[in-house]
Amino acid sequence: MINRKKWAVLFLLPGILLFAFVFLGSLVVLFTTSFTDWAIGRKITFVGLKNYIDLFTGDKTFIESVKNTAIWIGLQSTFHVFTGTVVALILAKNKWYSSPVRAIFFIPNVISSAALGMLFLCIMNPQYGLVNTLVTKISGNTFSQNWFMDPKTAFLSVTMTWLPYAGLVTILVMAEMSSISEDIYEAAKIDGASLFQTDIYVVLPLMKNIIGTSVVLAATSMLQKLDIIMMTTQGGPGSKTMNMPMYIYKTVFTNNNYGLANAQGVLLIILGVLALRIIRGLFKMDKKED
Amino acid sequence: MKKSLSKVIALVLALTMCASLVACGKQADSGKGEAVVTDTKTPAGDAKGGEPTEITYATFMVGSHASATAEAEVIDAFNKKYEGVYKVVVEELPSDDAFVDKMKILASSKTLPDVLIGKNGIRELAIENGQAVDIKPYLDADPEWKKFVGDDAIRYNSTEDGKLYSIANQRQLIGYFYNKEMFEAAGVTPAKTWDEWMENNEKLKNAGFTPLALMTGENAWTTNLWLAAMIGTDGQAGNDFMNSRYPVNYSTDSVIKGLTMLQKCLKDYTTPDAVGAIYANAANNFEQGNTAMIANGPWMCPDFTDETKSAPGFGDKVGVALYPENGLISQFEVGYILCTEGKSEAETAGAVEFLKFKTGEYAQSVFLEKAGVLPLTENIELSGDYRAANPLLAELIELSGDAAYTFENIDNTAYSAVVDETAVRYPELAYDECTPAEFADYISRAAELSK
Repeated sequence: MINRKKWAVLFLLPGILLFAFVFLGSLVVLFTTSFTDWAIGRKITFVGLKNYIDLFTGDKTFIESVKNTAIWIGLQSTFHVFTGTVVALILAKNKWYSSPVRAIFFIPNVISSAALGMLFLCIMNPQYGLVNTLVTKISGNTFSQNWFMDPKTAFLSVTMTWLPYAGLVTILVMAEMSSISEDIYEAAKIDGASLFQTDIYVVLPLMKNIIGTSVVLAATSMLQKLDIIMMTTQGGPGSKTMNMPMYIYKTVFTNNNYGLANAQGVLLIILGVLALRIIRGLFKMDKKED
Repeated sequence: MKKSLSKVIALVLALTMCASLVACGKQADSGKGEAVVTDTKTPAGDAKGGEPTEITYATFMVGSHASATAEAEVIDAFNKKYEGVYKVVVEELPSDDAFVDKMKILASSKTLPDVLIGKNGIRELAIENGQAVDIKPYLDADPEWKKFVGDDAIRYNSTEDGKLYSIANQRQLIGYFYNKEMFEAAGVTPAKTWDEWMENNEKLKNAGFTPLALMTGENAWTTNLWLAAMIGTDGQAGNDFMNSRYPVNYSTDSVIKGLTMLQKCLKDYTTPDAVGAIYANAANNFEQGNTAMIANGPWMCPDFTDETKSAPGFGDKVGVALYPENGLISQFEVGYILCTEGKSEAETAGAVEFLKFKTGEYAQSVFLEKAGVLPLTENIELSGDYRAANPLLAELIELSGDAAYTFENIDNTAYSAVVDETAVRYPELAYDECTPAEFADYISRAAELSK
């Protein structure tokens, strides 16, 4: 037994060392410097909890960035995963449209975020964008809406650049569905279950783990979302589309305040860990199958 | 036996994996290290059988930038002149924003290139991180170079303790351009007061024209030029404000008055895409005859006769004017910084040579001719032929003599965080989500945080 443990430690060691070198060291630096006043050219000084207090008491933009990040995590974990799962259930029926639709639905996932941002800037351009042109053609009246810059539509417009494109979730769920034995479908059929009932009462419960994994992936993607926001709104108008990564970026490169940015980084990690705990709890992902 | 053999094989595989990772890392490192050694330690022209010393340089004057042609010509000329001795390795960044962001990232790791433009707070970061060097001793040692940089430009960028961390790349006179045909059709002439200017906007709108080419994306350049003019011509207090460095209180009468006018302009007198648009959109709107006015400097003039950018014959329709109340933005740019602290003598010598070349007589002449950029001193004369070929620039220089108020623009006087804040707050101002007074508070706060 002891011998087996030794082997386990030996094999885990390279991974642990790499993790410690790349991530753990950075995390320690991040955490310690979050209690300092640190900017290029200034001596690092310990300021205790000042950065954290400033963020929560005097920084409305930070509060809004936390709120927006939390909303986007919520939307991505629910609507996005729901969309991907529904599409997977439809495509799994192997109809004539399954293959082309699956390929088309996955396209946004293979385009780089920067290119996607540019694409949406064109599609939603207030002067010549496709969306306004379509509305103008359909309604017959000149329609001009500045989707990304009007404070009333900015949040929704940015959200729509990623929320519906759940190709990755679809692929993951379909891969898991392919492992379900035909016997189970046949048994459901013999019991008189319709296709819809089979999906709801047989397939979906079996998909619990992969849906849980998809929710984790979807939620964590929102903790890293920066590129599309940077390409489209830069967090504006005001701070309507500001999220935590974007605000960290601005705090570093516009305000040259590394201490404050690292405090935000610590809070972002805490938010991520909390979100993961909740998701794993909801899907009982830590519980061993009997 | 079989079990232990499989364990040994597994162990060997694991070790091979680790070794390959380490080897990959080493390979990359050694590659990098070698380049650095070549870059920094090699005396000019005598390493590896006379390979030239490389000088790193970053620029945003590429692609469709108004100064791209002049920039390429100057760099090529330097490489040709110093062939085999120095070679400029150029990092091209396709927009001002991309340039500023990238340079700030490099500043944080003390890896700024040898020579670069220190705009939007880059110079200050380079001074703070210790990379920027005082250029004054080099300038004092070369009277010919100093003559073409000029005392005014030197004074402009000198610090209180007499150091000079940047050399301006141009003298700027910024008024605004207008479409003479549209003005004539609407029955207006360049306004003498701001009230008249607002009336002109209304008349142009009623005549079926969009008065202003504004943009609030990037650094809100054209919009902030109008704001600077509104503040800078608002009596002595406003003028003092626009001539002061890094103000922290924007909640002044002049600023709020200017923002109130701009709010109306963003709502009623500009194109639908202005809010959130980048400079190229605003320039295109003016050059394609979609708007009647754009605030900008004379470097835009070559675009008016460039048929890939403007409609044929557009150059003849453009006039230039001072801002209402005879205001004019008159300033030097932050210009080039020299980041050679800690670098080899050869690289430093090369970078200084390149800086001299870039700010010397030849480069200033090329930029004047190809990009309409005003030289730093009158030592580079604008010939009669040049004036005849560039009537707008000549007219602006002539008009500058009538300026009652001269001041700087917001990009030069404000912290870069303030400029960024204006860009994200203008949409709120345009859509009535914040008042001019609240806008002023927001930018004051941004300034306060940057102190």
